[in-house]
Amino acid sequence: MTSRHISHIRNWLWSSPPAEWALNQLRELLIGALRQGPVPKHVAFVMDGNRRFAKRHRIETVEGHNLGFEALAKILEVCYKSGVTHVTIYAFSIENFKRSKYEVDALMDMAKIKLKQLVEHGDLLDRYGASIRILGQRELIKPDVLEVVDQAVSMTSGNNNCVLNVCFPYTSREEITSAIRETVEEFSHPIPAEGADKERTSTFKEERIAHTIRSQQFSQHTNSDAAYTQAPGLRSPSSSTTSLSSYSQDASERDTSSVSTSTTLHPDGYSDTASPFPEPTSGVTQTSPSKGSQGHQQNSTYPSPELITPDTLSAHMYTAGDPPVDLLVRTSGVSRLSDFMLWQCHQDTQIVFLDVLWPDFDLWSFLPVLWEWQWRTIKAEQWDNDQESKEQRSERAAARKKPLKHAARTSTGIPPTRGSKVHAA
Amino acid sequence: MAPVTKNDVSLYRKDVASGGRALTPAEREKLLRPYLPPPQSESNKMKSGLSATATQKRHRGHRPRLRPFLKSKLHFILFFLIQLVFGIYIRLRQIYHAILDRLLAIRHYHHRSPELILRDVQNLERIPEHLSVILKFKSEEDGGLEALMDEVAELCAWSAAAGIPLLSVYEKSGILKTYMSSLQKMVEQKLVAYFGRPPAAPILSVFAPNHPSTGSSPFPSPQTSVQSTDRHPSTVDQRQRFNLLLLSASDGRDTLVDLTRTLAEMSQTHKLNPKDITSNLINTEINATTSISGLRERDGHSVKPPGKEVDPAEPDLVIVFGPYVKLDGYPPWQIRLSEIFCVGDSGGDVSGSRSTRVEYQALLRGLWRYAGAEMRFGR
Repeated sequence: MTSRHISHIRNWLWSSPPAEWALNQLRELLIGALRQGPVPKHVAFVMDGNRRFAKRHRIETVEGHNLGFEALAKILEVCYKSGVTHVTIYAFSIENFKRSKYEVDALMDMAKIKLKQLVEHGDLLDRYGASIRILGQRELIKPDVLEVVDQAVSMTSGNNNCVLNVCFPYTSREEITSAIRETVEEFSHPIPAEGADKERTSTFKEERIAHTIRSQQFSQHTNSDAAYTQAPGLRSPSSSTTSLSSYSQDASERDTSSVSTSTTLHPDGYSDTASPFPEPTSGVTQTSPSKGSQGHQQNSTYPSPELITPDTLSAHMYTAGDPPVDLLVRTSGVSRLSDFMLWQCHQDTQIVFLDVLWPDFDLWSFLPVLWEWQWRTIKAEQWDNDQESKEQRSERAAARKKPLKHAARTSTGIPPTRGSKVHAA
Repeated sequence: MAPVTKNDVSLYRKDVASGGRALTPAEREKLLRPYLPPPQSESNKMKSGLSATATQKRHRGHRPRLRPFLKSKLHFILFFLIQLVFGIYIRLRQIYHAILDRLLAIRHYHHRSPELILRDVQNLERIPEHLSVILKFKSEEDGGLEALMDEVAELCAWSAAAGIPLLSVYEKSGILKTYMSSLQKMVEQKLVAYFGRPPAAPILSVFAPNHPSTGSSPFPSPQTSVQSTDRHPSTVDQRQRFNLLLLSASDGRDTLVDLTRTLAEMSQTHKLNPKDITSNLINTEINATTSISGLRERDGHSVKPPGKEVDPAEPDLVIVFGPYVKLDGYPPWQIRLSEIFCVGDSGGDVSGSRSTRVEYQALLRGLWRYAGAEMRFGR
């Protein structure tokens, strides 16, 4: 009874105008101070603990989710004020569909209402330059919700000050899967056959180019016997008919290799300087072996699968174009990623697991996390700088010890470093 | 952004409770407006100099210039103060954790006896089927490769004694994979030191994705795994089996990229329709690279123990030997539902560039934490 009394008085004190004012000033001050250091560009949150919060406080689960939304609004404000540009939140997992139908429906309704209100206040959002993106499997969203989602997304798509990624029917495995699928689809579109392409677009004549190159070669190597024996048709470069016929001879050869004409044209090694045509072929190494089955395109080629890199896949993730996730926060003491941002967070992201439940998560529990991030980032930078300067020092010492080696290196054509230059002089 | 007044909160919650019908959009906007920061477009306008605001500025004179200046100075000083105090706090925390660790190490020490280790874990409700550790390569001052391999061997012995059938070791550069045969010897020696002569020591097999395992075949059926150390085939079935899986950064993104390349090639030759690519397909392929699933089936364990939705190739528990949780390129596909435990900053290092020392009580803490954590699959 007494404790309740005290808490009542405490609440009254905290909500009194001077206390409120002081708290507000303190908040502003701390956020301002935060901005002085490095700030994570992209923060991801797993909003866990709404239901446990509801259970603990004996309120309805839906009520817990509502309070969770309030906490989210507060945290977003802190984030954007302190300079975080991208925030990604895990709003709804595909696994969450396994929850009770009542709860799923309530969550869906909540999303619908919030987004609808967002659309109603569209001009407000525009003024702050915030844009909303929905990451996840759209086909799992109910059509009525999807409509509102699309409206909200398209309305805010032009804003680019800050981005809120809402992961809504999302799991990371599905994201990776769809990225792989899209990449595969992209790489199984045949790029237009090169011969046909050039005939359509190029205003330059291959024959003429080939001819010019040959005549250049000829004039350069008039003394060389090899040039004569390699290209017997080139003895009279002034006559256009003979050179053309020689081109057509070469062309039959060229079709078999079908990679690049320039390499067959100059065997004596200035191929990269003299190649005059645009090269759509640079990425093409593979011709389709079963082109007959697919029909009319005789020369259909595919981009080589070897060109696929981790960056290709990253570009097909839902978060393509966003800066890398610097910080991931999961509340409610569960230390698992739960299929969230696996691809984005498994490298240099600092992952923080907090014991606080999401509706209780506010500036005061978030600040220590940010401070620690700043502290570690600064320390890591210092460490890197130390390593670098150490390396430079040792390099310089090595250069002082072995001037001969460096002199030798400069003679072989590698641009000289500063240390070696001293010794060369 | 004044703290929201009670009145407004109750008004807002009433609106939410009614499903957003209690207030009209205009009313809601009015409710929110005091809490919104000044819009950026307006401040830009101020800069560009609308006549009205410009005259206002002139009237106020020096104030707009001095105030932001002082404010930024104040922020700067505060930032340094906070960083200073926080740095001291982290150091103190480190010392505290280090002392706690020492105490724990005194209370629980393995004395190279599997019985003692077993006693430490026997009261736990559950033990991970697949334990994974993230280690960092050590610099020469810390002992280099040899120290790393010794740590791996120790971890193997502890895990085997605790009844964990599979341990995977992640080390970014993958140097362990190149020394697989010598590592196998080291671990075998260590197991003998803990358990005694071969019939007592568990059978060890070492794997690495895309590496033909040295000394043991990737699918050790009883016949092949009888190898060198064991001369009594009849006791094989009673002997405990222990598997060590070596992972590196190339088993993460690169493997997924490799799979994509293969799929793209298949799609280009029309052996596969891109629409057939599902997470199930990818899961099967990724699990095949670690080739542990096949192994476990052979061991007589069911691939999916009832009540558990985790594939055996996915670690149940990942222990990060570092000051904070940074996965450092750990295979992303497998870590989906793994419990992550960070040993913490009891060592002297803060930047996470060096590895924390691998110690028995750290592993124990991880196992305790794992046993206490409840598993929920989104339900």
